[in-house]
Amino acid sequence: MSNRRNNLIILGLVVALIGVAAYFIFLRQPVAEATRLGLDLEGGVSANLQGYKTDGSEVTRQEMDLAAGIIRKRVDSLGVAEPEIQLQGQDQVVVNIPGVTDTEHAIDVIGRTAQLGFYEVLAAAGGQQPVSEDEVEETKDELQSELEGDPAYQEGGTKILFEETPSPSGEGVIVQGYVVPEEPGVTGEALESAIIERDQAGRRMVRINLTGEGAGQFGDLSQEVIDNALANGIPGQGRLAVVLDEDVISAPTVREVLDQGSFVIENQEGGGLPKEEAEELEIVLQTGALPVNMEVLSVTSIGPTLGSDSLRSGLLAALVGFGLVLLVLLVVYRVLGVIADLALLIYAFLLWGLIVAIPITVTLPGIAGIVLSIGVAADANVVIFERIKEEIRRGKSPRTAVGLGYQKGFKAILDGNLTTLITAFILFALSTGSVQGFAVLLAVGVVLSMFTAIAVTRALLGIISDRGFKLSAPMMGVSKKSLEAERPAKAGKAGAGAR
Amino acid sequence: MAFKNVDFVGGWRIWFAVSAVFLLLSVGAIALGGMNFGIDFTGGSKFTASGVEGSPGTEEVGDALPGDLGERSFVQRLGDEGYEVRTPVLSQEENTEVQQALEDFLGAEVSVTSISPTFGGQIREQALQAVAAALLIIVLYISLRFEFAFAFAAMVALLHDILITVGFYALVGREVNLVTVVAVLTVLGYSLYDTIIIFDRIRENTPEAGYNRRRYDQLANNSIRQVVMRSIYTSTVTLIPVTALLLFGESTLSDFAFALLVGIAAGTYSSIFIAAPTLCLFKAWRAGRTRKAPRGATAR
Repeated sequence: MSNRRNNLIILGLVVALIGVAAYFIFLRQPVAEATRLGLDLEGGVSANLQGYKTDGSEVTRQEMDLAAGIIRKRVDSLGVAEPEIQLQGQDQVVVNIPGVTDTEHAIDVIGRTAQLGFYEVLAAAGGQQPVSEDEVEETKDELQSELEGDPAYQEGGTKILFEETPSPSGEGVIVQGYVVPEEPGVTGEALESAIIERDQAGRRMVRINLTGEGAGQFGDLSQEVIDNALANGIPGQGRLAVVLDEDVISAPTVREVLDQGSFVIENQEGGGLPKEEAEELEIVLQTGALPVNMEVLSVTSIGPTLGSDSLRSGLLAALVGFGLVLLVLLVVYRVLGVIADLALLIYAFLLWGLIVAIPITVTLPGIAGIVLSIGVAADANVVIFERIKEEIRRGKSPRTAVGLGYQKGFKAILDGNLTTLITAFILFALSTGSVQGFAVLLAVGVVLSMFTAIAVTRALLGIISDRGFKLSAPMMGVSKKSLEAERPAKAGKAGAGAR
Repeated sequence: MAFKNVDFVGGWRIWFAVSAVFLLLSVGAIALGGMNFGIDFTGGSKFTASGVEGSPGTEEVGDALPGDLGERSFVQRLGDEGYEVRTPVLSQEENTEVQQALEDFLGAEVSVTSISPTFGGQIREQALQAVAAALLIIVLYISLRFEFAFAFAAMVALLHDILITVGFYALVGREVNLVTVVAVLTVLGYSLYDTIIIFDRIRENTPEAGYNRRRYDQLANNSIRQVVMRSIYTSTVTLIPVTALLLFGESTLSDFAFALLVGIAAGTYSSIFIAAPTLCLFKAWRAGRTRKAPRGATAR
């Protein structure tokens, strides 16, 4: 009696779970939006960045947290839906941006340190002749050695930075080199805001506004530049370099004390700064500098076509595999197969419900994990059913055989599934990104399958036999021949024969 | 009962010889530099074009790359309308340049994956750690649930499966990447499951009485016969969806499925023909040693 009550409780639970799953999949949102797809299926950019410091000291977790926060703000200002920013380990951060495929732009926005600094220019060189794109590096090397020979250059106390500007004539690039002090006279902390503006001619530029204190420091620095120029016998020719991430943006000549508290980054050519560059500058300056430098470890950009191809082929494989497994179980185990198929269908639906409810992001490896877990789920039933067949061949009645099958099969299944879980956990702990998706889905699938393949099938079998449905040996896929083949050997033992 | 006349334990020389052939083939393939490491491990960039119309040769695609990059890159077809180009490590700007060049030349969407060499090293390390950790924990687990002899035999079978999986991978020249490692770990879990089902039956059938070689070998044979159909069915049930992945999945999934297919086949074989005989041989060897030991002690 209590057995019967247990069976009813389990089936009631299954019905309730199916209801909950159905709510999550179909009712909470349109079904097309229910499943969260990974970038490899949806298209988008995924980047793995590692924080480092130029002085070689270790990056702390707090700094990475801060960096992740700033990166989040930057990605948000790109205006994309549901970006994912995750810290990984001590010094890595993974950024997933769905729906974006322009890798370079995305990386420039998220990975740029955006450290702003203002320096006094101690010496300058180059800038006379525009050079072609290919010669830029070469020119920089030449300027580097030229400036290292300048008396203003001191190893350790100063550094050499470069400025690249498109030539006003439209052809080539003008490269200039500057010797500046190692530390900036005014740092990026002086910055209050950055916004895109257009000048009278409609040219795009980025205006940088300084804080009150920053404006004061900036004024002091310009005063210093003027004084030093006077002392060096070149009055009115002192220069000040505006530097972003070790690149000189501009190096205006300072003739009077600058106390205006704002200045612009501009480009005299055509429409001013290119739209993308202006946006990048606005975003990175507005959101502030990252506390650490970022090295790009890996970047993946998946186009929407490739993504949907992968999704289609993955789903097709999963469905074909699933259908064939259902068919095989049916052919081999007949009535038991019907029960197992029912349990597998319940399993698949509940797994979908779990994926939506948690939610688990489904990636390509994740689909592989799901497909594999279908095998695992079917496997549990095979173990039990083979045991049942074996007991029947030994001469047990179908009812006793079913009981024994579950009882004895359970231990083997538990051990087997625990080892699969162990592998899944190790995979999760020691890997990153997409592999973790596989591990999570495999683990969830294995646990869920233990419930559906063992508890649910047993309850179903219990209920139908309570209803007076008599299982016979052939209904379970035990052939007469194999029964007879076994019988003579066990004739002595076999008491209650199966009909 | 199926396989009534097969002596699983006594015929170990035959089974081991069959495995030895495959193992030699695998080790040979690996040793002869057959491993085709992907950018996951070496660093570099991979460009995937999908939905290409027309079908230029792989060489023409290589020529479309900027500079002399074509000579340093590896181009292959991907299905009917796709191409994959693998290049050495490139900067972000170069990646964009190559992507643009391919998009222009093929008139199709091009996806990019680029991995820095440092990251490649990290991934390689993690992968090796994962496999080692999995093996270690599994030995502990089986020793705990069964006994050490079982763990030893399971480990022999697992190494067998891993070697064969990796070897076949090398043999057909598929790209070894992170997905391959996942596949190997999955094979490991799966083959172990198979082995454990057989071991579980041996454990169940083992009488309370002490060890006796003839009786134990007989018992192992019987245990295998009792569960062998189950092994075949479950492998079939698992191989069906895996084969579907191999046939219908695109490159990543099909690589994964290939490793699983080989691994699960090897795993099914090794659970029956390697793990159980090894267990019996190991038990016999240990029994022989403990019997000899006291005699040696009295002689001295």
